[in-house]
Amino acid sequence: MSKKLETELYKAATLTFEELGFLLPTPEINEQQLNAQAEAAVSVDFEGPFSGKLLLRVYGGLLPIIAANMLGQEDAPSETLQRDALGEIVNVICGNMLPGIAGSKDVFHVSSPRAAESTDLPPVAEVQVGLGLGRADLLLFVSKYPALAEE
Amino acid sequence: MALNILIVDDSSVMRAIIIKTLRLSQLPLGEVHEATNGQEALKVLDGNWIDLALVDINMPVMTGEEMIDRLRQNPETADLPVIVVSTEGSETRRQVLMEKGAGFVHKPFTPETLRDAIVRTLGGLDEQKAGDGTLQGGYSDL
Repeated sequence: MSKKLETELYKAATLTFEELGFLLPTPEINEQQLNAQAEAAVSVDFEGPFSGKLLLRVYGGLLPIIAANMLGQEDAPSETLQRDALGEIVNVICGNMLPGIAGSKDVFHVSSPRAAESTDLPPVAEVQVGLGLGRADLLLFVSKYPALAEE
Repeated sequence: MALNILIVDDSSVMRAIIIKTLRLSQLPLGEVHEATNGQEALKVLDGNWIDLALVDINMPVMTGEEMIDRLRQNPETADLPVIVVSTEGSETRRQVLMEKGAGFVHKPFTPETLRDAIVRTLGGLDEQKAGDGTLQGGYSDL
């Protein structure tokens, strides 16, 4: 795992959860967050000077909370909106992470979010973000840029 | 003059956030139209008077950049004010979009950032129409 990649991924994730999801990341992952049940996973693919996938999996009842916060609603939005909200979160995290890794000159195309698919690749970076009673795991996979994967 | 605004984004949640932000902005809003990609947006523009388009970049079917190219090629829409609202972090791509005459708002954005970009892009909005510069609430009120 690359420390630099994980630092950039964590920075992008906490910024996005704070500013888009109105959730304050906890400084450490506690026992309850660690044992929380998985709810949903989404991913986006990106292509550019290197290509890959960013996967976001949330645990512990976060899905309706994120969507309600983003939409400013008291009640949980529909399941479709909840999935759409999670997709937008991973999209924004990916868009904010890539310039931190590649620099601001390189151009990437980021795909629309979709329900996460398994991949045979090992992640090059993995971070956990504690959020209330749950947590979010982010896994970065790189398929075409061996030097970055080994960094 | 009430502003007719077209929001082009494949995320229904992001369109909803932008609409709520616009409603808090004190901008003189008219009709708000939505489209999920560039192609749908061009159809909306064909049948409606639009004063401003807020456009995502990475969308299926037709990207925001392709849509802007089509707009600029059509004499009827060549001068339509466009603001790109995107996670795009590449300075190179932002420069290209600016050369096509588009403003830019980076996601995630604050309501003030979006409002200021609209006022800057439309230029002609006077202070009274655009409010006093303070939004009535923030994202947390959305």
